[in-house]
Amino acid sequence: VSLALRDLPWRHVSESGHVTTFLIELGQCSFFSENIPASRSSTGPMEEDDEEARALLEGGPSEDGRGAPAVPAVPGALPALCDPSRLAHRLLVLLLMCFLGFGSYFCYDNPAALQTQVKRDMQVNTTKFMLLYAWYSWPNVVLCFFGGFLIDRVFGIRWGTIIFSCFVCIGQVIFALGGIFNAFWLMEFGRFVFGVGGESLAVAQNTYAVGWFKGKELNLVFGLQLSMARIGSTVNMNLMGWLYSKVEASLGSAGHTTLGITLMIGGITCILSLICALVLAYLDQRAERILHKAQGKTGEVIKLTDVKDFSLPLWLIFTICVCYYVAVFPFIGLGKVFFTEKFGFSSQEASAINSIVYVISAPMSPIFGLLVDKTGRNIIWVLCAVVTTLAAHIMLAFTLWNPWIAMCLLGLSYSLLACALWPMVAFVVPEHQLGTAYGFMQSIQNLGLAIVSIIAGMILDTRGYLFLEVFFIACVSLSLLAVVLLYVVNRARGGNLNYSARQREEIKLSHAE
Amino acid sequence: MCGSEGPRWGWGHHAPGPTLLLSVLVSAAPLGLLGEETRQVSLEVIPNRLGPPQNLLHIRAVGTSSTLHYVWGTTGPPAALLVATSTPHSTLAVNWSLLLSPEPDGGLTVLPTDSIRFSSALVFTRLFEFDSTNTSEVSAKPPGKPYAPYSLAEFSWNNISDFLDPATLSATFRGHPIHDPTGAFANGSLAFRVQAFPSSGRPAQAPRLLHSADTCQLEVALLGARPRGNRSVFGLEVVTLGQGPDCPSMQEQRSIDDEYAPAVFQLNQLLWGSLPSGFVQWRPVAFSQRQRGRDSALPCRTSTLHPTLEYPLPQSAIVRAFFGSQANFCALNLTFGASTGPGYWDENYLSWSMLLGVGTPPVDSLSPLILGIMAVALGAPGLMLLAGGVFLLLGQKQCSEYQPIN
Repeated sequence: VSLALRDLPWRHVSESGHVTTFLIELGQCSFFSENIPASRSSTGPMEEDDEEARALLEGGPSEDGRGAPAVPAVPGALPALCDPSRLAHRLLVLLLMCFLGFGSYFCYDNPAALQTQVKRDMQVNTTKFMLLYAWYSWPNVVLCFFGGFLIDRVFGIRWGTIIFSCFVCIGQVIFALGGIFNAFWLMEFGRFVFGVGGESLAVAQNTYAVGWFKGKELNLVFGLQLSMARIGSTVNMNLMGWLYSKVEASLGSAGHTTLGITLMIGGITCILSLICALVLAYLDQRAERILHKAQGKTGEVIKLTDVKDFSLPLWLIFTICVCYYVAVFPFIGLGKVFFTEKFGFSSQEASAINSIVYVISAPMSPIFGLLVDKTGRNIIWVLCAVVTTLAAHIMLAFTLWNPWIAMCLLGLSYSLLACALWPMVAFVVPEHQLGTAYGFMQSIQNLGLAIVSIIAGMILDTRGYLFLEVFFIACVSLSLLAVVLLYVVNRARGGNLNYSARQREEIKLSHAE
Repeated sequence: MCGSEGPRWGWGHHAPGPTLLLSVLVSAAPLGLLGEETRQVSLEVIPNRLGPPQNLLHIRAVGTSSTLHYVWGTTGPPAALLVATSTPHSTLAVNWSLLLSPEPDGGLTVLPTDSIRFSSALVFTRLFEFDSTNTSEVSAKPPGKPYAPYSLAEFSWNNISDFLDPATLSATFRGHPIHDPTGAFANGSLAFRVQAFPSSGRPAQAPRLLHSADTCQLEVALLGARPRGNRSVFGLEVVTLGQGPDCPSMQEQRSIDDEYAPAVFQLNQLLWGSLPSGFVQWRPVAFSQRQRGRDSALPCRTSTLHPTLEYPLPQSAIVRAFFGSQANFCALNLTFGASTGPGYWDENYLSWSMLLGVGTPPVDSLSPLILGIMAVALGAPGLMLLAGGVFLLLGQKQCSEYQPIN
């Protein structure tokens, strides 16, 4: 069996023959595992279904008459926007999909955007503040394995999306109520509930994308969703502080009530997402009636016993992943105060620079995806990304140079790593174990993030930012160690991880023969 | 201002006479000859035999070839004299009748006068209080509507003899206003804790300023006093001796190292002349809780040094006695906290620390722990890369040997 390119996450051969990879590995947790099987199942015969359905729609008034009496049977009378088989309608769906995730991405980084306010109003130290992030990650250590299962077998995509959206909404409301009632434990609980919904909602979002856009536009859709997620994070970083000051001005004073109300207003984005989920569910059902389209499935198979078969390179990839991400996300969570105190930035400037990693990765992810596709040699790219990150952290720690340089480097290397690291899993794991491997990778990534969030808060409170940066440097260097080891192991075993694109092509051809 | 005897400004190196050199060699052998790494510190309250007890604390730090005299007194506002001499045998002479007279000039002297290499003074004149309720600007100057300041010259102070701690080489002046019609200080006080050090080190409590044997630490704490508003921001006026017509220079040093004071990347310094001379050093941070954790850290804002010609300063007897009436003064305002964030209102507590000393101000260096972690963190992947390279090179060689056979 050939090592087909479509096995790679979110990889899709477009009509022009170009191979593009969109790596969706968003902030809090990547939602890769869902996508691999999804894109796997989405290629090929399903495209014909589309044509078939169109033919049916155009030629079979009886179908429509029976299934959807509200929809006029005559194709010409169905406006493009309401016709599920038309591009205009799908664009509408795409818009809804993008906003489906917007709320959770917007609210995920609320604590980072309001770091000083949360700590001041709730009177908590950094350690307790970082628990807000840890509580988000804890449920996902387990849920990464079950999100796909829940969508496929228990709720179905539509109800699953609505339920997860509700979790996100309720979580954010509890989080905000914790502020209003001045109860930090309630805020933590809110983040836990939010975490239960947040990651799984991302899974659902991708499943919808595959269900609607299997075929030509899928890469673009993933790219747009990714960009939307980044925009959500960026808008949050730059908006919440301003919103807080407005609420403060209208209430007359700062305090936990101000914080709670600000977060409640932020929660409107979650309501918006919930509305999107409801409308999507309706449209999806309608499309199913009209086009006889099956409900989207993640197709994810998780078998925990597979873990014992994981090879050394895979464990090294896990190590790289965990050690790398724990040096990026907790840093962004704590970054705002770092930029104001060390570099004398204003609050707005600090928010802007803190969101630059997200801003850069939105356009760069597809570009780097293409680059890695064209060149292969994933380990070398990962090595470059990790070394650049190391350099960026060293700059932030030991120099007073303009931090824009270091943060832009961090944004670039973060995007590059995502594009080069995640597809490697597909090279070292048999196809039937991919779901388990990605689920496991996400799970330990969340575990790492939860633990390191707490450790980072503790270090910051007692030892300061320099020591925290040194801790992050140590994490990245552990990651670097794992990359070097991976290179050596791969080389010694004659592994395929570092092949160039041409070598991969040749191997594929020879296998095909 | 400094009198005519010898160069007082500048803690310069000077050639010691042969006898001095000999005495240095003899006495300093166990302490090491290089600089004044350690000093013999003694605290002494100079009694007033003529009348009621007066707070006059003399801290004498004797090194191998020099002596530092810190004289703290609360006759008038709390004040400190710093006198550095180039002999280990200099002494402080007090003429109480002159010192307590309206014209105290010459009441305090350090003998021999020609050994004095540096001298200056600090006076803590006023405690400010601002109402920051309606001030949303964090960096607003002043931080709100000012209340009438407390004049520290009109405070009554405890008897310092009862608050000496020879074990830690420290003493605490604790005072409250003599006239306190509102009873704000009924359960509160303003405390000046003075501590000298026999050698270099770093206290366990924030802001953990690095001190040497050439420095003395002052910790100002306001505790228990009832603020006049809900959001009172306090400030302190510090007056120092000018340099001729000019004021001493102020420096804000930015640093990458916040290991000892988390999230504080700045060190403020007041320098009385070109280095090495005398200095005051502090971190721009104060604390609103006794634990002095990062969650109780308040920003400490510093005004520029300005001549104090506009208003009459309360006179400190000891400063006047040592420097005479011709000295000109410069004032500096410190404000602790802002309208938002932690503040005095948390626990009715405020503390701020500074170092007073001569020579080169102590500079933080990266801690061994950080250097150790960095060495391992950068060394391990480097070594691995090297080892991996060698391993692969050897592996490739073996491969290439096989190739001809194939």
